[in-house]
Amino acid sequence: MRPLRSGLPLDPLGSVIAILIGVALLAAPFVTYRANRIVSGEGRMLAEALPVLVAAAVFAVAFGAGLAAALIRNPLARLAAALVGLAAIFPAVGLSAVFLTPSGNSFARISPSVGFWLLTLSFALLAADSLTRLRLGPWARLAALATAFGAVALLLLSGAWDGLSILKEYATRSDSFWREARQHLFLALGSLAAACLVGLPLGMLCHRVRALRAGILQALNVIQTIPSIALFGLLMVPLGTLAAASPLAAGLGIRGIGAAPALLALFLYSLLPIVANTVLGLNQVPAVVVDAARGMGLSARQRLVQIEIPLSLPIILAGIRIVLVQNLGLATVAALIGGGGFGTFVFQGIGQSAIDLVLLGAIPTVALSFAAAIILDAATELAKGSA
Amino acid sequence: MIEIEHLTRRYGSTVVVDDVSLRVEEGAIAVVVGTSGAGKSTLLRMINRLVEPSAGRVLIDGQDTRTVPEDELRHRIGYVIQGYGLFPHRTVAENIATVPRLLGWGSKRIAARVNELLDLFQLDPAEFARKFPHQLSGGQQQRVGVARALAARPALLLMDEPFGALDAVIRAKAQEDLLAIQRRLGTTIVLVTHDMNEAFQLGDRIAVMDQARLLQYATPTELLTRPAEDFVERLVGTVERPFRLLSLTGVQAALEPGGAEGEPIALSDNLQNALSQLVWSGRESLPVADPNGVIVGRISVGGILAHGRPPA
Ligand SMILES: Nc1ncnc2c1ncn2[C@@H]1O[C@H](COP(=O)(O)OP(=O)(O)O)[C@@H](O)[C@H]1O
Ligand SMILES: [Mg+2]
Repeated sequence: MRPLRSGLPLDPLGSVIAILIGVALLAAPFVTYRANRIVSGEGRMLAEALPVLVAAAVFAVAFGAGLAAALIRNPLARLAAALVGLAAIFPAVGLSAVFLTPSGNSFARISPSVGFWLLTLSFALLAADSLTRLRLGPWARLAALATAFGAVALLLLSGAWDGLSILKEYATRSDSFWREARQHLFLALGSLAAACLVGLPLGMLCHRVRALRAGILQALNVIQTIPSIALFGLLMVPLGTLAAASPLAAGLGIRGIGAAPALLALFLYSLLPIVANTVLGLNQVPAVVVDAARGMGLSARQRLVQIEIPLSLPIILAGIRIVLVQNLGLATVAALIGGGGFGTFVFQGIGQSAIDLVLLGAIPTVALSFAAAIILDAATELAKGSA
Repeated sequence: MIEIEHLTRRYGSTVVVDDVSLRVEEGAIAVVVGTSGAGKSTLLRMINRLVEPSAGRVLIDGQDTRTVPEDELRHRIGYVIQGYGLFPHRTVAENIATVPRLLGWGSKRIAARVNELLDLFQLDPAEFARKFPHQLSGGQQQRVGVARALAARPALLLMDEPFGALDAVIRAKAQEDLLAIQRRLGTTIVLVTHDMNEAFQLGDRIAVMDQARLLQYATPTELLTRPAEDFVERLVGTVERPFRLLSLTGVQAALEPGGAEGEPIALSDNLQNALSQLVWSGRESLPVADPNGVIVGRISVGGILAHGRPPA
């Protein structure tokens, strides 16, 4: 027997989402129209932004999804509502660009506005919440991530969004976009790899040699507290000097500005989480397990490989997750010292007051961090399952 | 056979094990007892060189343990500790297979050995082989811990408070099982405990340690009747002493000719149990039956009590 309730059984988060959707539909512009890429724009409500019937259909779908969020508790149904909502507004925003651009005008810019972003946020929240309630296993979560990226890639490839201002920014710099994307990944992953190469052994050493532990962790802590831009600046001087003094270093591309100081700074930031989590992970391996392993004649190496590393892997992976998400974000700052990466677009965009250009750098960065977090969370869970 | 000769361990200026010598015969159980901090674990861990002696040496079947590489030495010596230290990320079968795998046994031989041990410890291989340690009860974990230590058929088994984490009922059963398995396999065991009852139940010989020194190393009966120092006498328990002595003596010793009324007592039983039955049944004497059920004589309260004190 279900307990009797008075009134409608409202879902708390769902109600908030429903209100957000209501505001987005009724009180916020769906897209922004600008005569060219740098003038300030004017908002267009959903009804003005699309052909009447399409606008009505999008309105109905979004409204329905909002109702579902507030009233329906079945997580699968809620997930379906969120996906249907996204499937309605994503193509619609592309369509609205085509609809609003006067034919033959290549200066006019249409970009998603508050209404669209609020709707996206609402549906994303609803989807994330229902996925959480479904308690998907790590593999299912990875599959969901792949599906989401596949769907967005499909939209991009189909040309449905080509009319949007951000893709117009992309169209004029598609070469540099992929170059900076590679550079961004190189900075974030390269510094992570280097930090693992140095940090994991260093963590193991700290675990073995107690006397070193406090000193090393404190030094890394101090580095962590230096603001990123200051650290980039600090590194410019010694690396510049090194390049000036040694033709070999200069030949290797080491200079006071550029990728070298950026990579080095990211590497230094990465060390603390990796070393600290390695020490933490190894420390929480029960002493009695290690003692039993020793007593049965596992050599120091066999203990490390067969017992200590597998049992501390979830915590070490948590450290790697922190570093990867942090570095994907911090790599943006590298552009300030000529290190490249998506930050290039962000800072160019800020300089030109071209918000679309800023977004061209910011959105991929956020998407990468998001994907990295999900992938490493799943990996951590898989490691826990087998540990 | 293991011979411990003048074994000493110091940490800085504190002596934790002080010049201990003792010998354990092939197939015997030696129990090391003493209060906490007496140096029992350190003594045990010097046998498989988990702790390096500061002085003295250990011979196993005449071979000085220092001449064997330490990991190789430990492959040949079973080791069970309180809490067992089962590998939480490995199944029961994988845990038991640890040392055979280190020794490079083939997978068929390992699987056969694992099944054999699970059977020996009354754990159904079909049910338990693939379980993880956290899915087992305390008693099951303990059995897996001992099975793992015996996997590569070591001639010597070191046990440090192996029953310490079990509740009383399961502990008594685990002790009986260990004794039965030890008698069957003929494994030499050195076992550390702070539980006097355990020492008397399991030990062929008992080593009493206090403050790093070995006070006495003797059979249980000798420990009761001829304690070397006051400390031993107190540790053995002046109240329990007569009953411990009776529990160590077989019914045969107090057998008298003649018959008696009542439920017969088995000839293989000990005098403590016999006395207990006499008290409970309210009789002065009871008949004694041999394993075939034939009455071979009787046993009386007076006859039993004469064995509950040291010989004059
Ligand atoms: N690694 C060590 N360093 C310093 N002191 C130790 C060390 N290991 C043991 N001890 C000390 O040696 C004494 C005996 O320890 P132990 O052999 O574990 O005693 P028991 O097993 O009889 O309780 C204790 O006082 C303990 O504090
Ligand atoms: Mg101890």
